[in-house]
Amino acid sequence: MDVNFVGENLLPGKIGQFFVILSFGTALLSFISYYFATVNKNKEDKSWLIIARIAFWINTISIIAIGVILFYIIHNHLFEYHYAWAHSSKALPTHYIISSFWEGQEGSFLLWMFWQSVLGSVLFFKAKDWESPVMTFIMLCQVFLASMIVGVQIFGFHFGSSPFILLRDAIQAPIFSKPDYLSLIPDGNGLNPLLQNYWMVIHPPTLFLGFASMVVPFAYAAAGLWTKRYKEWITLGLPWALFAVMVLGAGIIMGSFWAYEALNFGGFWAWDPVENASIIPWFTLIAAVHVMIANKNSGHSYFTATFLALISFVLVIYASYLTRSGILGETSVHAFTDLGLNVQLIAFNVVFFVITIVLLVVRKKHMPSTQKEEDIYSREFWLFIGALVLTVACVQIIASTSIPVYNAIFGTKIAPPLDPVKHYNRWQSGFAVIIMILTSITQFLKYKKTDPKKFFASTIASLIVAVILTAAVSYITKTYTNLIFILITFSSIFCILANIRVLAGAVKGKWKLAGSAVAHIGFGLLLIGAMIAASTNEVISINNTGYIAVSGFDKVEKPGDNLFLTEGEPVQMGEYRITYVGDSVAEPNVFYKIKYESIDEESGKAKSSFVLMPFAQNNPKMGGLIGTPATKHYITHDIYTLITAAASDLQAKNANIPADKKTGFEDYEEPATYEVNVGDTLRYRNGFFVIESVNKNAHLENIPKGEKDVIVGLKIKVIASDKKEYNVEPVFLIKDGTSYDFNKDVNDQGLRFRFSNILPKKDKLEIMVYQKPLPEKKWIVFKAIKFPYINFFWCGTIIMTIGFFMSIFKRNKEIKRLDQKQS
Amino acid sequence: MKKSSIILIVIIAVAIAMILVIYTDSSTYSTFTEAKEKKTELYVVGVLNKQKALHYDPKTNANHFSFFMYDNDSTECQIVFNGSKPQDIERSEQIVLTGKMDGNVFHATKILMKCPSKYNQDQVEVIETNATAFNN
Repeated sequence: MDVNFVGENLLPGKIGQFFVILSFGTALLSFISYYFATVNKNKEDKSWLIIARIAFWINTISIIAIGVILFYIIHNHLFEYHYAWAHSSKALPTHYIISSFWEGQEGSFLLWMFWQSVLGSVLFFKAKDWESPVMTFIMLCQVFLASMIVGVQIFGFHFGSSPFILLRDAIQAPIFSKPDYLSLIPDGNGLNPLLQNYWMVIHPPTLFLGFASMVVPFAYAAAGLWTKRYKEWITLGLPWALFAVMVLGAGIIMGSFWAYEALNFGGFWAWDPVENASIIPWFTLIAAVHVMIANKNSGHSYFTATFLALISFVLVIYASYLTRSGILGETSVHAFTDLGLNVQLIAFNVVFFVITIVLLVVRKKHMPSTQKEEDIYSREFWLFIGALVLTVACVQIIASTSIPVYNAIFGTKIAPPLDPVKHYNRWQSGFAVIIMILTSITQFLKYKKTDPKKFFASTIASLIVAVILTAAVSYITKTYTNLIFILITFSSIFCILANIRVLAGAVKGKWKLAGSAVAHIGFGLLLIGAMIAASTNEVISINNTGYIAVSGFDKVEKPGDNLFLTEGEPVQMGEYRITYVGDSVAEPNVFYKIKYESIDEESGKAKSSFVLMPFAQNNPKMGGLIGTPATKHYITHDIYTLITAAASDLQAKNANIPADKKTGFEDYEEPATYEVNVGDTLRYRNGFFVIESVNKNAHLENIPKGEKDVIVGLKIKVIASDKKEYNVEPVFLIKDGTSYDFNKDVNDQGLRFRFSNILPKKDKLEIMVYQKPLPEKKWIVFKAIKFPYINFFWCGTIIMTIGFFMSIFKRNKEIKRLDQKQS
Repeated sequence: MKKSSIILIVIIAVAIAMILVIYTDSSTYSTFTEAKEKKTELYVVGVLNKQKALHYDPKTNANHFSFFMYDNDSTECQIVFNGSKPQDIERSEQIVLTGKMDGNVFHATKILMKCPSKYNQDQVEVIETNATAFNN
C-alpha cells in the first residue's frame, strides 16, 4: 500500500542513513587496508597505507555527519523519526536534548565510535611506525561498532539498529495508515526524569571516552605481539593505559556522584550489575598498569602484563554485552533494552577474545622472559602478587554479576544473592585489605633487590604510626565495632603514610614516583571514605508510627524509613526539628522546602538551621512522581533528603478531564437539597445563611422576559464564622413552559447556590447548596539519610585522578626519551 | 619452580574455592507456595493484580504499602512492603520481590519493577489534538 504521508521530512534520514552505511564500509576498508599495510613486506610500497588513511578520514567524517544529522533531527523535533520520538520532547531544554542524544543505544554506540575516531586521529599523528598494526585493531573495533547502527535486513537477519529508522517503520499501529498521522503525534516520549540532570550531560561522554580509550592499550599489546616488537609496546602503551584508567575512573566516579546527588538510590555505590560492568575492566587495567611498570623496570611478568592489557578491552566488550543485551533484565534497574543486537554483541566479544587467545598462544615461546627468579625482597614480585589479587577480586565480581548469563546458557534458574551489597562488600573488603597492604609494602621495596634490614626498619616505623592513627580514626568515626572495618582503615592509612613518604622523597628531587604516590594516597582516602560512609550511614527519618518495640515482636513490623510531614507542622527527628515549609513549582518540577533546625535542649531555640529543596517531577508517562534528592554538605557529614510521596499527585485529579466535558461542578462536593421558606436559617461548614426574601422583579441580562415567563430571584445572606457577610441571589426562570435556574457563587466561602424549584403545593422553595471540599493540607513523605565523612570519598577520587594525570605526564616523557634514543 | 608460579597456583585455587562459595550466597526464584514452605528470604517473580486495590495511606502509616500479586504459577498473595509506595507500580509489567512469607502475607523487603516506559518505549500514545479528524 502506497500512502503519501503528509508533513514528513525524509531527507535528513536518507542522508544520515547514507553516512551510516558509509561509516561501516570505510571502517571495513580501513581495517583491511591497515592489515595489508602491516603484513606488506615491501616497506617502500605505501599503497595500502594510503587507502587505509583515506578510508579512516572518510570514516571519521561520516561519524561526525551522523552525529550532526541526528542532533538536527532531535533538536527540530522531527518525530517521524523513531529516535527523536522515543528519547526527546518539545519541552526539553537544549542541554537535555544533548543527553537525549545518547539515552538510546544507537546514540551511545555513536558516542563510542566518535571517541574512537578522536583517539584514532591522535594515533594517526603520534603512532609513527606503529600506525598500521595499531590502527588495524582500532578499525576492527570500529567495524563492529558501525555494524551495530547499520539497520538493514540481510536474508531476514536484522543487522544493527539505525538511529534514522522512521517511527512508522519501527512501530506497527493502525494510525500509521493515515496520511496525516504526524498531526496526531504532537510530542515525543521525552527524557526519563532521572536522566534530566547535568551529570547525564557529562557522565556518559566521559565514561564512553574511558571505554573507547581502552582499545588503545589493547591495540598496542596486540600489535606488539603481532609484529614481534615485544618489548617496545609496554613503554608506548603505558601512557594510554594510564589515560584510560584515569578517564574511566573519572567516569565511574561521576556515575557514583550522579547516583548520590541526583538518583534516588540512597547511596553512591549499590553494586548494581551495570556499575559492576564498568568497574571490572577498570580493575583489570589497573592491574595491567602495575605489571607493565614492573616489567619496564625488571623485565619480569611480561606475559601477565600483556594478558591483562588485552583482556581488559575484552571485558569492556563483555560489559557492553551485559548492559545492552537485556540479559540483566531481572537483576538491574537500569540496563538498556534488548534491541535484537545480541548476536552481533556476542560476535564482537568472541572475535576480540579469540584474537587475545591466539596471539598469546602463538607468541608464547617468543615472549621475552628472564630466567632469573624474582627476589622476594623486590618490588616487582609484590607488584605481580598485587595485580593477581586485584584480578581475583575482579573474578569475584564477574562471577556474581554473570549469574543471568549462566542462566541463559545453561537454562538454570539461579537467582543472584538476595542482598547484593552485603554479598559484594564481604568479598571485596577482604580483597581491599590485602591490596592496600601490598600497595603499602611495595613502597618500601626497590626493584630487583632490597636490603631486608633497611626494609624492616622503615616499614615498622610507618606501621606503628599507622596503628596509632587507625585507633584514632576508628574511635572518632565509631567504626571500631567491626574487625574488617578496622582492617580497611588500617591498611588504607598505612598505604597513605607509605606514599606520603614517597612523596616527601619526590619533593627532594625524585619526582619519578610522585604521580603514583598521589594516586595511591587518593585511593587510600577514597577507600576510607567509602567504608565509613557506607558502614555508618543511617536513616534519620525513622518512623515509629505503628511500631511497638517489644522484644521478639519487632521482627515483622520494623520501623520504617519514611516520615510523614504536614505543611507547617514541625516534627522532631533525632537532633533536628523539621518543618515542611511549602513548595514552589518550576515546571515540570515541584520543589519542596524542608527546613531543618537543630534545637538547643535547654533554651528550646534553634542553634542552626538550613533549608533543603528536594524536588520531584510528576511525570505520568515515566511513572508518576519521581524524586530527586537534595543534600546539605558539611565537612564531616552530609544530610540527604528525598521525597518519596506527596499530596500534589492527588490534587491534579481533575486536570485530566477534557474541557468540553467539564460541567463546572467538579470542584464541588455532592450538593445538599433543602426545601425552605423565607426567614429560614441554615448552617454550612463555615457559618450559616439566611433566606431573606423572594425577588419577583428579578431580571436577567440577555434574556428578555416574555409575557408568560416567570423570573424569580432568591435573596440569601451568607454569614461566615468570621462575621463577614455576603449577599447572593440565585435565579429561577420559567420560559415557554420550561424551567431553568442560574446558580450564584460565593467564591470566598467556596459556596454555590441554585434556586432549583418552586413547590407551590407545599408552599416551599427548593434550593441546592454546593460546597467546595476543604483544601487538603499539603503533605509529603520523605526519607533522610546521614552520610558521615563522605568527603573523604570525594577528596580521594579527585586526588587519585590528579595522580593518574601526573603519571601520564611522566610516562609520556619516557616515550620522548625513547624516541630521542632511536633517532 | 618459580615462586611466582607457586603463588599463581595458590591464587587460582583460592579463586576456584571462592566461586564455589559464591553460589552458597545465590538463591532461586520461587513461588508463593514454595515461600510458604521454606519461610526463608527469597525471590518471587510475578505480576500485579490490577483488579484489586493498592493500599497506601501515608497519613496513618507512611511505611505500609500493600497490594496483591500473582506469581508465575498464578497463585495470588497479599504483599506487605515496609516503605512508601513505589511510584510506577500500577504500570509495571513484571515485579520481582525479595522477602519472606509470614502466615498468608508475603513481607517484601525490596520491590523491583519492570515498566513499559523504561523498558519498552514502543507504545504510541496518541494524543487527540484534532479530535474531529481522528474520529472520522
